[in-house]
Amino acid sequence: MTTLTPPAVEVRNLAKHYGSVVALKHVNLTIAAGEYFVLLGPSGGGKTTLLRTIGGFHKATSGDVLLHGRDVGHLPPDKRPTTMVFQAYALFPHMTVLGNVGYGLKVAGFSKRDVAEKSAAMLEMVGLKGFADRKPHELSGGQQQRVQLARAMVLDRDILLLDEPLAALDAQLRKDMCVELKHLQEKMGITFIHVTHNQEEAMTVADRIALVANGELVEHGRARDIYEAPQKRFTASFVGENNLLTGRVTDASGETMTVDVAGTSIAVLKRGHDVQAGQQVDLSIRSELVKLSPADVDGGVPDGHGTTGTYGESFYLGLTTSHLVRLPDGTEIVSREISEMIHNAPAPGAQVRLHWQADALRLHTS
Amino acid sequence: MTEDFANPWVYRLKWAYLLLIVTTLMIPVMYVMYISFNANGFGANAYDFTWEWYGLILKDKLLLNALRWTLSLSLVVTLVAVPFALLAAKYYKQASNKLFPIFLLLAPLFVPPDILGSALLVFFKNLNGAFEWLGALLGTSLFDGWFDLGFMTAVIGLIIYTIPYSFIVILITMGRYRSEQTEAARSCGADGWRAFWDIEFPQIRAGILSACSFTVILCFNEYTRTSLLKGGFDTFTTVLVSQMLNTGMSPQSYAMSSLVSFIAIALIGGIIIVTMIRSETLTRDARAKAEPVMS
Repeated sequence: MTTLTPPAVEVRNLAKHYGSVVALKHVNLTIAAGEYFVLLGPSGGGKTTLLRTIGGFHKATSGDVLLHGRDVGHLPPDKRPTTMVFQAYALFPHMTVLGNVGYGLKVAGFSKRDVAEKSAAMLEMVGLKGFADRKPHELSGGQQQRVQLARAMVLDRDILLLDEPLAALDAQLRKDMCVELKHLQEKMGITFIHVTHNQEEAMTVADRIALVANGELVEHGRARDIYEAPQKRFTASFVGENNLLTGRVTDASGETMTVDVAGTSIAVLKRGHDVQAGQQVDLSIRSELVKLSPADVDGGVPDGHGTTGTYGESFYLGLTTSHLVRLPDGTEIVSREISEMIHNAPAPGAQVRLHWQADALRLHTS
Repeated sequence: MTEDFANPWVYRLKWAYLLLIVTTLMIPVMYVMYISFNANGFGANAYDFTWEWYGLILKDKLLLNALRWTLSLSLVVTLVAVPFALLAAKYYKQASNKLFPIFLLLAPLFVPPDILGSALLVFFKNLNGAFEWLGALLGTSLFDGWFDLGFMTAVIGLIIYTIPYSFIVILITMGRYRSEQTEAARSCGADGWRAFWDIEFPQIRAGILSACSFTVILCFNEYTRTSLLKGGFDTFTTVLVSQMLNTGMSPQSYAMSSLVSFIAIALIGGIIIVTMIRSETLTRDARAKAEPVMS
């Protein structure tokens, strides 16, 4: 006989209202133990509200929060098996680094010796050995966040909530910290739930990502699936650099349908979507999958897997360069390629051909 | 605009102006201190230094009694008003609509003391009447005289007077406190009280102590409400004022006034100096210890 281990976090029909403002609309979510889960979305979308409701800082208007199978909706934060890392300003300024890290242990009633030993060991783990006697204001932003991590992890709780923990750090430091976070999570083996609006940060650390916007859980899945095969139009617009096109279905028979986009017939794989002829649909394609060539060169692409437009301008972004092309109806499409691969960029105003692989386009009906 | 372009004479002029203002304000107090050491008393041409009047304070039962009453009043008022003000400040920080609570809390500041005092006087009188009527109805004298003028009525009047000051002082120190710290403490396992005591209180302690000091000083300074609500001119300020109006202040009253003024100035000055030194030390330590940012 096998015993099923309940998920670390289970959210059922969770809703949170602030008066007439609806912050969360009936969210359902399951996070497995030991998973690095990221809540990604635009500011004001509800991801922090969801995290704080899991942590007990907000009381749900309706719905349940279960941690390891136990309903904790009625419990305050100090009674839940969670701990939290905040965006900033959350270290205790009147305590030393060691005092900060050991605070939770002191509250839990550990002896002074145990508090000191465990705190010192955790400081070493986060790379802050030798900083124990400093005050928080004597640390850099990255060091302060590491102290927060140490303070949370020393408590040995198995769910760590991270509310935009890297938002206040500069770009390079954020990248370094992402890697450190991922390694720490793998080492500790506990569940991390990380809120961010930064997709690169999310991609770096996440086992799974959930897109949260307008108080709803839009889509969730593995980071690679979310990036490469977004199901919802919103996901395509938020993750990666996707071109969004709108067109009308002209032929919906078979596995591949035909969509009229700006006067060009484009072939799109239906991928199980129920689509009727005449229906308006949204399409997306990642900019790095759009190839650019002069209009008079046939790129060997079958009909329906490309279109033509007028070359606008290019934007050099370092590793890549983005080319902006306008379709006859004014729709803009971006083609992105490795900067070093570009030898002759078209002149502005020149007619160009855009083409892609048959499975590059994604269809969105919601 | 940087200081590099500032005219040094304008800077000196500003300091001279500030000094002039403070001196003008403090000269009467200093004069009282000066004559409190004159063996010939107030108004005498000759000045002979003496400690005699200070020695006589301890033998002046009227003054000592007044001091005792005022100390008791200020102690009780502080014990009630400061926690009230602290709770109000905490509520105010969390309130989404801040206009209404701040209006309510600061309103007593804008009511003239004689109007507030006489309003309370009438209110207590009517309240007494209502309680006596209730007692008569129930056939008991248990409710008689609850709101007769005395210590309790003066305490109520002084609490209404001092809460706005305490509230403002505490609110200012709370301004720098980030609520994320309380949440962090809660997520470390501390309950609400423990999070307040361990994390918030140490950071707003200076404000709470300042509020206590201000409350005590305000109780010592207050005349109108105390004279109307205490019943009998037996507190420090009321004794001094009635002496002055009736018989003229005794030399030991000057000595006592000087002593109280000196303690008040020393207390407030001490708080300011300690705060400044602490802030400067923290900044200096931070500069000394902090290494270049290492991530």
